[in-house]
Amino acid sequence: MRPVHFILAAVILTVVAVAWFEPRPNIADYDPAKHARFKDTWDQRVHITYWEKWGSFEAEACEKMVDAFNEAQEEIFVHYVRTSQVDRKAMLSIVGQAPPEVVGLWSGNVLPFAEADALIPLDEWMARDGLTDDHYIRNYLEMCRDQAGRTVCLPTTPATIALFYNKDHYRQKADRLRAAGLDPTRPPTSLAELDRYADALSEFNADGTPKVMGFVPTEPGWFHESWPYYFGGSLWDPNTGSLTPDRPENVRAFEWIKSYANRYGRQNLTRFQQGFGNYDSPQNAFIDGKVSMVLQGVYFPAFIDRHRPHLKYGVVPFPCAEGVPGPRSLMNEDVVGIPRGCKHPEAAWKFVRWVQTDGLPIICRLQGKHLPIRLSPEAEKAFRQAHPNRFLDVFDMLARQPHSFILPQTPVWREYRDDYRRAFDHIWHWPIPEGPLAGLDGQQRADKIRQLCRAEIVKTLSEMRLDLEKARAQKAERLRMRRKEARP
Amino acid sequence: MTGGARKGLTGYTFVLPWLCGLTFFIAYPFLAAGWFSFCDFPPLKGPMFIGGANYSELLTDKVFLRCMGVTTMFAAVAIPIGVVLALSLALFLNARIRGQAIYRVVFYLPHLVPTVVVAILWLWIFNPEAGLLNLVLGYVFRAVDGWTGLFFDIEALQAGGAGLRPMALLLLAAPAQALLGWGPVARRSYGPESRLRPVMSAVAGVAVFLAAAAVISALLYRFAPGDMRKLHAPGWLTDGDPFPAVLPFAPSWALWGIIVMSFWGVGQMAVIYLAKLQDVPVELYEAAEIDGAGWWRKTVSVTIPLISPVILFNVVMSIIGAFQVFAAPYIMTQGGPEDKTRFVAMFVYDQAFQYHRLGYASAVAAALFLVIVVLTLLAFRISRSYVHYEGR
Repeated sequence: MRPVHFILAAVILTVVAVAWFEPRPNIADYDPAKHARFKDTWDQRVHITYWEKWGSFEAEACEKMVDAFNEAQEEIFVHYVRTSQVDRKAMLSIVGQAPPEVVGLWSGNVLPFAEADALIPLDEWMARDGLTDDHYIRNYLEMCRDQAGRTVCLPTTPATIALFYNKDHYRQKADRLRAAGLDPTRPPTSLAELDRYADALSEFNADGTPKVMGFVPTEPGWFHESWPYYFGGSLWDPNTGSLTPDRPENVRAFEWIKSYANRYGRQNLTRFQQGFGNYDSPQNAFIDGKVSMVLQGVYFPAFIDRHRPHLKYGVVPFPCAEGVPGPRSLMNEDVVGIPRGCKHPEAAWKFVRWVQTDGLPIICRLQGKHLPIRLSPEAEKAFRQAHPNRFLDVFDMLARQPHSFILPQTPVWREYRDDYRRAFDHIWHWPIPEGPLAGLDGQQRADKIRQLCRAEIVKTLSEMRLDLEKARAQKAERLRMRRKEARP
Repeated sequence: MTGGARKGLTGYTFVLPWLCGLTFFIAYPFLAAGWFSFCDFPPLKGPMFIGGANYSELLTDKVFLRCMGVTTMFAAVAIPIGVVLALSLALFLNARIRGQAIYRVVFYLPHLVPTVVVAILWLWIFNPEAGLLNLVLGYVFRAVDGWTGLFFDIEALQAGGAGLRPMALLLLAAPAQALLGWGPVARRSYGPESRLRPVMSAVAGVAVFLAAAAVISALLYRFAPGDMRKLHAPGWLTDGDPFPAVLPFAPSWALWGIIVMSFWGVGQMAVIYLAKLQDVPVELYEAAEIDGAGWWRKTVSVTIPLISPVILFNVVMSIIGAFQVFAAPYIMTQGGPEDKTRFVAMFVYDQAFQYHRLGYASAVAAALFLVIVVLTLLAFRISRSYVHYEGR
């Protein structure tokens, strides 16, 4: 053998060895100043990794919670890693058998991850450590369970949504509001009133394009799935699990949404929204005063404080359609889970367990959110003291309302959500054909437009239901085949 | 070990890394994807054979068919325009002009910018409210409106009327000027050596251009008023309406945005043409000139036949590239509005990483592969009559 063969063989062996034997984390490889206080216990600790989605100040809040855990004990050290598209990367890492010990996901990821058997069920640990349902506010634990009722994640930060309104706009346009028979000193209390406020608060350029909009249902465009619920509808039947996108109440919700596109021009509104800046920027549509009212979440005041702390605004529950009981809100949350195949599941559980009692008050306060858990009155008082979100009570109240709702807990939720957004897009952009409107004007024309829109909405939503039923049946069939194949 | 064996061992050792790469990163995934396309394969559960169910699902999957339609439309529009643009650019860069090297660098530079950066840059360029493109289009079309308005009543045209103003008679001056500049009158009045000829020719050109602009604009206002209004400031990536609107299957404005953006990297194709252009023997041009051929005849009869193998190469590469478009629409539109910019590659990605359906994603990838193979073979088949290989 020539020397060149020895060299090549040595290179290959070195590469394999480096890839195979992962070195233990060395403190020198991390931020020495930040980790100096852990130097003495560094080597004795079990090192685990926590992937989380947040960036900016929300990531800093999470890091502070992790720091608090690292300081609170000397057994485990959590390495916090900011990870974009965390759900996709987490799944890849689990498939590749190199997952982190803890992963922060969205509640919408729970069922798909559970279905793929990608997360370790936590029920046994929870029972052992006395973490019960009573610890949580209704619905927040529900979102962490799979179809078989196993808890595969636990909450981190919760969210509810409400109507934000710009008080300066109300004051500046008080005369217009009064002329429209509206009270400029209070926000709308019904959907019909919201529409009238939106009209009175909107301003237009000479060419008819919007300058300021009172309200636009597509801004920020994150809560399209919630609109049916404000009309008394629902996207599914929780009792039977059947999907109900074309319920009459949902059709009503879409008619209301389309009425905005018809009233102000779908393309005018779409172009207007293109002029908005990023969500986390002073050019955010609400922060910049481009829209007077917006549906937003508990986290939004923190962004307003960052970019325009002197903005005068109020927050109230989003109004419901006539006859629909309220107040109500979408309940959503971020969750943490322990991926299957991670190296230190027990240590990961100890961290997750700590988060559920000691960690959540830290992160929820720093991110300006309410709590998904119940605290003792003293702890609750301490949590609320100097809480940065001055509208905390509104969001907390919404989280405890019997009419507040969660999104469908179905294995085909991602397909459902994507189909729903496609349908939303279609209905919003659907151009009303001119042919059937020829020769009609006034009320007759308006009625005909409503009739055409309704027919298109019903058709779109019914098609969506059929597609989803097909997808669900196919999924069930594949599952049945798999079970059959798995039998000895 | 004999000398031959040792030599062989050394050779194989050196190609071993490449062989490993080919086996593990290309051949195995390729074959495995073929097998997975016949399986139900959620991650962590392993593949389960289900026969041709994934393929039969493909044929009825509305979203997939829409994605295929978008991708095919993109290929059908972007490839011919891209090839012509690149060829024109190459002919320009091949001309003996001052600063030729600088032009070549300038036109090639965009190709070096990463796709993600280009996509973000074009997001700003296409912004309907603050974008550079709409700013320029606004100025251009306001000027066009002003000019057209001298001869036609634009509002009357949009309402479906004739919309002629008395000034429209002046437009007849253009054909008269064309006769003076280019027609038999010109040939009779002043010979080829006359100093008046280039002046009259230029004046005729300007007159015809201005008159044509007014007439075309008026015709567009009359027969496609919606398109004409939108051309002043299109919604680009947010607009799912077809353009031109009279053709319901035409690319949406959003897809036009992606098509226009795809020409950003046309410089690379032009450089390949350029290399071949410089290979064309000068004697052929000289012979053509002796036969009285002008610039156009030389281009059509000499240049294009001689560079036709390179045109074929660029067309084939463009077909493959067009069916793999992913990054730009993924960043710029996420497939919207209404899936009008959802390409097949995005569909594959969503199926694999969003819905965790690796088997179905593999079936789509296999179908995409077949489409590319068929189109490439078709391009080669058609090329037999048009591509000229010097060596044969």
